[in-house]
Amino acid sequence: MEQILKVEGLCRDYGKGTVTHAVDHVDFSVEKGEFVGIMGPSGSGKTTLLNCISTIDTPTAGHIWVEGRDITTLKQKGLSRFRRERLGFVFQDCNLLDTLTAYENIALALTIRKTPAQKVDALVRETAQLLEITDCLNKYPYQMSGGQQQRTAAARAIVTEPALVLADEPTGALDSKSARLLLERFELMNQLRQATILMVTHDAFTASYCHRILFLQDGSLFAQVERGNQDRKDFFRQIIGVVTQLGGDQSDVL
Amino acid sequence: MFSKLAVKNVGRSFRDYGVYFLTVAFGVCLFYVFNALETQTVIRYLSSHQRQELVGAIQQLIGVLSVFVWFVLAFLILYASGFLVRRRSREMGTYLMLGMERWQVARLLLAETAVTALVALAVGLALGVVLSQALSVFTAGLFAVPQTEFQFSVSLPALLRTILAFVGIFLLVMLYHAFTVSRRKLIDLLRARRVNQELKVRSLGMSVVLFLVGCALLVVAYAMLLTRGLLRVDGLFWVMIGLGSLGTLLFFRALSGFLLRLCQSNKKLYYKNLNMFILRQFNASINTTYRSMTVICLMLLLAIGITATSVGLNNTVSQMADQTIFQDVELVAWPEEEGDTLDLAAALEAGGFDPEQQCSSWTTFPLYQNEAGEPCLLQQDYDAYVSAWGQEPADAFLESWGARIVDGEGAGLTALRWYFLADYAGDPNEAEQLFLQAAGYIPDTGGYQYTTKQSIWMDLMGTKVLVLFIGLYLGVVFLVASAAVLALQQLSQAADSAGRYQVLSRLGVSEKMRGRSVDIQVFLAFFLPLALALVHAVVGMTAANAVIAEVGRVDAAASSAVTALLLVAVYGGYFLATCWGSRRILRAAA
Ligand SMILES: Nc1ncnc2c1ncn2[C@@H]1O[C@H](COP(=O)(O)OP(=O)(O)O)[C@@H](O)[C@H]1O
Ligand SMILES: [Mg+2]
Repeated sequence: MEQILKVEGLCRDYGKGTVTHAVDHVDFSVEKGEFVGIMGPSGSGKTTLLNCISTIDTPTAGHIWVEGRDITTLKQKGLSRFRRERLGFVFQDCNLLDTLTAYENIALALTIRKTPAQKVDALVRETAQLLEITDCLNKYPYQMSGGQQQRTAAARAIVTEPALVLADEPTGALDSKSARLLLERFELMNQLRQATILMVTHDAFTASYCHRILFLQDGSLFAQVERGNQDRKDFFRQIIGVVTQLGGDQSDVL
Repeated sequence: MFSKLAVKNVGRSFRDYGVYFLTVAFGVCLFYVFNALETQTVIRYLSSHQRQELVGAIQQLIGVLSVFVWFVLAFLILYASGFLVRRRSREMGTYLMLGMERWQVARLLLAETAVTALVALAVGLALGVVLSQALSVFTAGLFAVPQTEFQFSVSLPALLRTILAFVGIFLLVMLYHAFTVSRRKLIDLLRARRVNQELKVRSLGMSVVLFLVGCALLVVAYAMLLTRGLLRVDGLFWVMIGLGSLGTLLFFRALSGFLLRLCQSNKKLYYKNLNMFILRQFNASINTTYRSMTVICLMLLLAIGITATSVGLNNTVSQMADQTIFQDVELVAWPEEEGDTLDLAAALEAGGFDPEQQCSSWTTFPLYQNEAGEPCLLQQDYDAYVSAWGQEPADAFLESWGARIVDGEGAGLTALRWYFLADYAGDPNEAEQLFLQAAGYIPDTGGYQYTTKQSIWMDLMGTKVLVLFIGLYLGVVFLVASAAVLALQQLSQAADSAGRYQVLSRLGVSEKMRGRSVDIQVFLAFFLPLALALVHAVVGMTAANAVIAEVGRVDAAASSAVTALLLVAVYGGYFLATCWGSRRILRAAA
């Protein structure tokens, strides 16, 4: 299998004097077509790790390769280019541009990559169909539900066929029904489009949609579980098991 | 800790609130320049030539205007500091939450305001002193006033007045700050930035219709102006002004929607780079800005109109002095009894003004009346006139009276009035002085009056100076006001869209592209009102020229040049400061 992401000895420290090791020597890799979750309690460094991979933050030490290219050596201009051409994002909030319709939000990801105007429409509609948001394409974000907004963000993330889709707590602000719908769409994106997804969450239910889960605590990876052939419910139980076994804060995980 | 915080904040506020600083500095500068008129070469020239009263009147008028200008500037600076406080309310809330007392936070703000204001005041005054000299040289050149060697002068009363005026404004600002901090609830301060303006979606089709209606109204107003002229102030005049203003309002209200619709119909243009985002952004902001854009457009129109007309009119009047009087001196006296003889030359000589010495050419003669009551001039007097000044002015004189030339020594004619006409020899200033002294009392007449070319020229110049200074003063104040309001609006919009630019940055839009998008938005906000104001002004000036052309010729090139220069300096300065400030705000957010 082709390796999409490889992280090696990644560190990110904050502050002078008393240094916080937000991310502390993390190593892992993600293969093409995988749906990987990163779990951990609040403050364990999940967002920091994801920000380093998405080049929004710069690591203190270590390397990150995406499709074999070391992105820690990229300069400002190269970073922007890399981000718009190879990555797709879904964040917890602050996702869509409130002045643009859903359609335009998705199209924007294409226009900033200089996709020819005549190709835009077909790509946007096809992706919107996959995420079941065809009905609200002409709506503004404030006219849509939280779930529809997140699915629009997901559509924007994959419409450019990026090498890697990064999602930071995408279900964080959603009710359970919308969360389920979004996660099912993530699964579809992964299956039908072979989208490689790296999703951060502190929620075991959300995590149970992934193929593989990395557990993070105090900035370090300390466990990993794979779904294999189990169904989602069993996988969910296994995740809960790991979390309790390793002494994580239950209330924080659930 | 407190002083450190204040100093740090001041340093930052210089960088972040350039527009606030610029407005205070420009305001101070303007205020000083026009309160220090006594340092102007033209004003000095006028007062050294028996025109102290006129100078006094000019200064009084400017003084009254200064009160008006003070109110405008006070409003502007309060508005600017309101923006400043709004931008900082979250930070202030944090201080409060960290346990700082309200009075401490207020004191922090006051310290910042005081230091910022003092520096702006100093910079403004320095700028004012320099600009005052530049204006002096410019106007002296305009009026062809002989410039004695360059004299650098500072007006202490004006300095004092400016400082007092602005200390007053700063006290108002401080009161305002104290009031804001004490009144606001902590939760509001903390939440301030989260409150986003509500996005109202309006039908784009409606925008297109409104835009066309606005344009139609403008065309009607223009047509009325051009056919009716500028000076017929009656019911229809106000209808015209109303149509023009309403047209302008609708134009701005619907422009963004119209543009959006237009571009959306061209997919290639719309789905290119950030075009879609820029247009949407512009459209979203227009709901909050179209009113101020209208006001700004009209203010700009006033500024352009006033400046251009005052400079243009000014050059026109300049050509009028020569036409009004031909000789350097014209003295007319009426005899006590009709028909009596007056020797004006001898009377003047007795008064200390010897025509033989002081004049290069002179003549004195009576204007007669024959039995039929017709005015007459003797052939010999006419000949003397012609030999002194030539055929043309002599005939013009005859024509002005409808007089006929008669031969002989004046038998059967009655002398109605006696003329003394002369051109000075030597130093005209000295001769004028002597003449004015001698003409102060001429004995044995039934009344007399005199005009000298110098006094006419001086009076005309006084009027011109008045028009020019008032025009420039008001013009520049309106210009600064419009530019400052625009700049502040754009900056607060940049702060409001910080979140959007953050999303763009994450999506991989390069800093260069984001900067360009900001610049285009600021450019649209500055350029659109200016463009429409220019169109208004061109139409208005065409109508105004028709009026001025009756009085004289307008020097369109000079007035356009001065107007353009002022526009570029003030408006351009604010434009650049706004681009810079907006980019800064957005870069900090990304
Ligand atoms: N900008 C920052 N400056 C200083 N410390 C930070 C910053 N961002 C995160 N941290 C610290 O790094 C640690 C990890 O944070 P984060 O990655 O946001 O955790 P998570 O997303 O898992 O909740 C926390 O202890 C947090 O306080
Ligand atoms: Mg987080």
